[in-house]
Amino acid sequence: MIPLATAHLKGPHIDFAGLSPLIALLGGSVLVLIVGLLGSRWIRAQAVPSLSLGALGAALGLTIWQWNAQKSIVSGALRIDDLALVLNLVLIAGAACTVLLAWRSLAAREAAHGEFHALLLSSVAGMSLLAAAQNTVALFVGLELLSIPLYVLCATELKREHSLESGLKYLIVGSVGSATLLYGLAMIYGATGTTDFAGIASALSNGSLATDPLTLTGVALCVAGLCFKSSIAPFHQWTPDVYEGAPTPVTAFMAVTTKVAAFGVFLRFFDVALIDTQVSWGPALAVLATITILVGNVGALGQSSLKRMLAYSSVAQAGYMLAGVVVSTQLGVRATVFYLAAYLFMNMAAFAVIVARERQTDLGDSIGALAGLGRERPLLAWPMTISMLALAGIPATAGFMGKFYLIDAAVSGGYTWLGVAIVVGSMISLGYYLPVIAAMWMREAPAATSPNDASVLAPTPGPLPALAGGSSELDEDGGPLSGSQPEVLVVAVLAGAATIFFGVIPQPLFDLVHGAGSGLGLF
Amino acid sequence: MSIAWYLAVSAIVFSLGAIGVMTRRNPLVVLLCLELMLNGANLALIAFSRMWGNGDGQILAIVVMTVAACEVCIGLGMIVAIYRRHLPIDVDELRELQG
Amino acid sequence: MSATTYGWLVLLFPLLGMLVTALGFRSLPGRSAGWIATAAIFLSFLAALGALIKIQGLAPEHRQVVSSLWSYASTVGIDAQMSILVDPLSVFMILVVTGVSTLIHLYSISYMEGDRGFARYFSYLNFFVFSMLLLVLAGNFLLLITGWAFVGAASYLLISFWYRRTTATSAGIKAFVINVVGDVGLVLGTYFIFKHTHTLDFLKTFQATSAGAFGHASNEGDLVAGCILLLVGAFAKSAQIPLHTWLPDAMEGPTPVSSLIHAATMVTAGVYLIARMHPLFELAPAAQDVGAVVGAATLLIAGTIGLAQTDIKRVIAYSTMSQIGYMIMGVSVGAYAAGLFHLMTHAFFKALLFMAAGSIIGAMAGEQSLNRMGGFRKAMPFTYGCFIVGGLALSGVPPFSGFFSKDDILLVTGERGGWHWILYVAGYVGAFLTAIYTFRMIFRAFHGEPVAEARELNLKSHPPHLHHAEVPRNPANGEEEDTDVGFPGPTHAIAERALPMRVAMGVLALGAVGAGLVQIPKVDFVIDDFLRPSFAGSALYEPHTKNGLLVFGLGLGTVLALLGIALAHRIWVVRPGMATSIRERFRPAYVLFVNKWYFDELIDMLVVKPAAAAGLFARDTFEQLFVDETLIGGTTGIVRAGSAAVRAAQSGFVRYYAALLVLGVTGVGFYFLLQT
Repeated sequence: MIPLATAHLKGPHIDFAGLSPLIALLGGSVLVLIVGLLGSRWIRAQAVPSLSLGALGAALGLTIWQWNAQKSIVSGALRIDDLALVLNLVLIAGAACTVLLAWRSLAAREAAHGEFHALLLSSVAGMSLLAAAQNTVALFVGLELLSIPLYVLCATELKREHSLESGLKYLIVGSVGSATLLYGLAMIYGATGTTDFAGIASALSNGSLATDPLTLTGVALCVAGLCFKSSIAPFHQWTPDVYEGAPTPVTAFMAVTTKVAAFGVFLRFFDVALIDTQVSWGPALAVLATITILVGNVGALGQSSLKRMLAYSSVAQAGYMLAGVVVSTQLGVRATVFYLAAYLFMNMAAFAVIVARERQTDLGDSIGALAGLGRERPLLAWPMTISMLALAGIPATAGFMGKFYLIDAAVSGGYTWLGVAIVVGSMISLGYYLPVIAAMWMREAPAATSPNDASVLAPTPGPLPALAGGSSELDEDGGPLSGSQPEVLVVAVLAGAATIFFGVIPQPLFDLVHGAGSGLGLF
Repeated sequence: MSIAWYLAVSAIVFSLGAIGVMTRRNPLVVLLCLELMLNGANLALIAFSRMWGNGDGQILAIVVMTVAACEVCIGLGMIVAIYRRHLPIDVDELRELQG
Repeated sequence: MSATTYGWLVLLFPLLGMLVTALGFRSLPGRSAGWIATAAIFLSFLAALGALIKIQGLAPEHRQVVSSLWSYASTVGIDAQMSILVDPLSVFMILVVTGVSTLIHLYSISYMEGDRGFARYFSYLNFFVFSMLLLVLAGNFLLLITGWAFVGAASYLLISFWYRRTTATSAGIKAFVINVVGDVGLVLGTYFIFKHTHTLDFLKTFQATSAGAFGHASNEGDLVAGCILLLVGAFAKSAQIPLHTWLPDAMEGPTPVSSLIHAATMVTAGVYLIARMHPLFELAPAAQDVGAVVGAATLLIAGTIGLAQTDIKRVIAYSTMSQIGYMIMGVSVGAYAAGLFHLMTHAFFKALLFMAAGSIIGAMAGEQSLNRMGGFRKAMPFTYGCFIVGGLALSGVPPFSGFFSKDDILLVTGERGGWHWILYVAGYVGAFLTAIYTFRMIFRAFHGEPVAEARELNLKSHPPHLHHAEVPRNPANGEEEDTDVGFPGPTHAIAERALPMRVAMGVLALGAVGAGLVQIPKVDFVIDDFLRPSFAGSALYEPHTKNGLLVFGLGLGTVLALLGIALAHRIWVVRPGMATSIRERFRPAYVLFVNKWYFDELIDMLVVKPAAAAGLFARDTFEQLFVDETLIGGTTGIVRAGSAAVRAAQSGFVRYYAALLVLGVTGVGFYFLLQT
């Protein structure tokens, strides 16, 4: 039947091999949604995360299988090349860490496990799509596929006011950002008549289109839209509020993977499609990067919520990474991708420790929850210490190598002052990273920690009405969430170890990102 | 008819949406205004699509409609969740997270 | 296994030993930390032997093997590898370092027995040896600098091991500061060289240099500058004038540490550096001359200071300075094999002398002053024997080891001719002084009327450990102490009566007697032949020697040594009052020597005081007004204000965020429209 049909109707050629990682992710998403409907609580709580890890593992394997492929798929809408594959690796690793962090989390339970993990996987699929996008339609679809599940994920702790607030805030501000970007894409389409990145690039390279007001307005709107997604100041304001309010595993996911996807599309869209307008956007982005570095680092000072502090820090880190985009050289691309990978390890270590402490103490994500950790739980204190040192860029960590690479790219790209800004930013950043380390190693543990998690994480007393999307599971089981949490410890220790490993032996990572720079046709 | 008219209308719709997001406090109205912004962009896309005589813009416009529907769904879901928690339906009251 | 595998093993064992003793300090019972540490260094020594056998199995022209574990960062113009260079020179060094260190570890097990910081001590000790091995095995400047800095850090930890003693901590700080001066020199020197050769790897650097990276004339400006900066590093580590003042103060550490610093791990680093960098130095004769002159000056000045010191460990310390002066002079004039030969023999007899000194200090319950010692000959025959063997080797009496190696250096120096004859004469004057101060020390400690402690030891019933006085005191300044962690322990072992210490001293004594026979000038050339592949391109290696000069030199050396010993015997044994009358007659010279040529005061006056004065002045004016109030107050104020502004902008109102977003879009759009 089916072969007959294809014989009559000449359908488009579909390269399933190239699409396979995406198919694995989306298929996994559907699968966990269905499995999540099964009755047994054990299946929901254990099988669903396992399945979603399995889907991620499959996507990882398929990504590696596609290694060294250089091809366009879906009529040129997506491109599988080294950049896309490397970013896929980072995305999948980040998502896998998130699944582990969310294994016993309240968020996954309140939202019902199937839904939580389905949303997570479809968001990863959106990111993967974004990292490979070759035209503006794919860009927009990827961006929304990334964002919409995230809006929901932020609000998954339905009983907690902050979670709802962060979800709604993210939705409103995020939609404004998307609309801005869309309007920009429309204008670029209007100016060039095509949605293809390559087509846009060739249209802009001919004649005076590169300085046409329509084009430049479009570029300006796109800058704003993408800056919003990668939380570049002054479009960063959603970041601290949303990061603080969202469930911590989701925050970890957002902090790492959204950046990866956003910078992937930054590199593709600006360094390929809009490369001929680089004289216009280069300095603008450089100024934005500087503002971002300053605002992020300054804002993080003196925050008492670790998640909020890390949110501002992620704003600052986005500023560093933007330097690699600004210079639009191969070195810049490599530096950005290298930093993204290092950023994954550094942040995952920190967030894993925060997740662990949220479940162990009643202090939430406040810095006080870490006091005395060095003596009590060195296995948690060391990853956090390493992560803070790496984020500040201390040598022998991956963060140092990444910063070194970025500064090198900025200086050799003619933006020495941007390199100086990175250094100044790192200096300020010690002002908020070191207090965390001091709290862990130099302060006494709080006198009595009551690890009564259920009352902690769902602080509202009394019975609550059934919620939209809420699972019945929570009502029947209000018991403690924690106990031992080996998977969180594993994430913390592995991420911390990787941060040190790639700081001491960075060559494998250098080799990995080497190809990412060459695929874009830059110098 | 010149493309400029279409663009002018689309810009006005987009701006109305933006102003609405900035001034209205009811999240339902804010969601409506977000729709306005997206539809403003849609209008521009379709106008450009006609101008260039190719379908790319229209494809994007259809995608945008789908996306807009999704966003509204989620927005409404959240508003319901907020309502059930007996929180005020007012975006200005949602400012526990700040600083 | 290949030679480089053994090289990595040499590094691995001390590192493991350090980690085990450091992490397991709570759970390791008794003295096991000491045995673990000793075993680690001994295994490292065995691995060094393995490397020796393997490297000898290669053809001479292939005896320089580089092995890279991984490349640290080979990107953007840097080729930083984790690489070691195994060649005869580094194998020679690791053999000496691990061999002597093993014995010192063994000795320490008994010496530190009663100390509360036993495991910490051995962890530091292993770290010290590891750092030194890293330094000598480094295959590139990056690892060299790392090892160099580690050695400085380890010496700081060990010198101020008794960290509750104020004198010990200030000595540690002094050593560290002067070493950092050297580190800065080394790093800057590396920069000067790297700037031209564009590589950090040693062998590639030498290739590039001989290929004309600095130009083809000798004494190119940057090369000379680079070499002199390297010399600054070498002088600081090897305690050469004027960066030597930390070395005598470093005697504050436990005696085995002094032994380690002086014999094996630290002060020889400068000698090694010059020998390793010989292809650079040979193209910069000016730098070589600086090294030779400073070495000669150091050996003379240190010798004179040694004459007047009364602290037994300081006398030995100044003799180290003096002997290192010979080595620095040797490797600077091209006597590489002779200099390294002396390094080896010196390692044996100097470690021996320190251990013997440790034994007598133990018997004196921590007292180090020669004025209070006397008559230990009968009480401690074994220690006495060790002192005599070490002293004869140090003075250069045939056939003890120091005789051959020292005269080998002076022979090569003399053969360079010209103004080098001045160095030759200085060397022999120094040899004469060495004999005098060495035997002054021995005669004063062991001959004459036995002091109370010596008489006490003569009683056979005495236990192997002596106890402190009622209130332990710091021998340097008389401050009262307790015996808790951070101070010396309550008991003092006497080397004579503790087996590990006797074994260590015995082995070293054999080395001090016999090591010189390895290379008797004109008879056998074991060291020369062994090291030749490392100095393959050297023009100065093994010049043609004249037999006449050789015989003259050997004769002169013997005569001077014996004359010095005889003089010492006459002054301090036969006519005990003579010392005082001589001191009175040469009062100015004595005052100069006893005050160590006023180097401390000179440095104090020239560097420390002006710097402190400038600092004070700056603190009161510049810092207070400009730095504190304007810069720091200003920047922190700006940062704080910025923080407040950012937080104020983060008001929590969604509508406000949307507005700011639109404002941002407008701003960016405006900028872009200006571009049209």
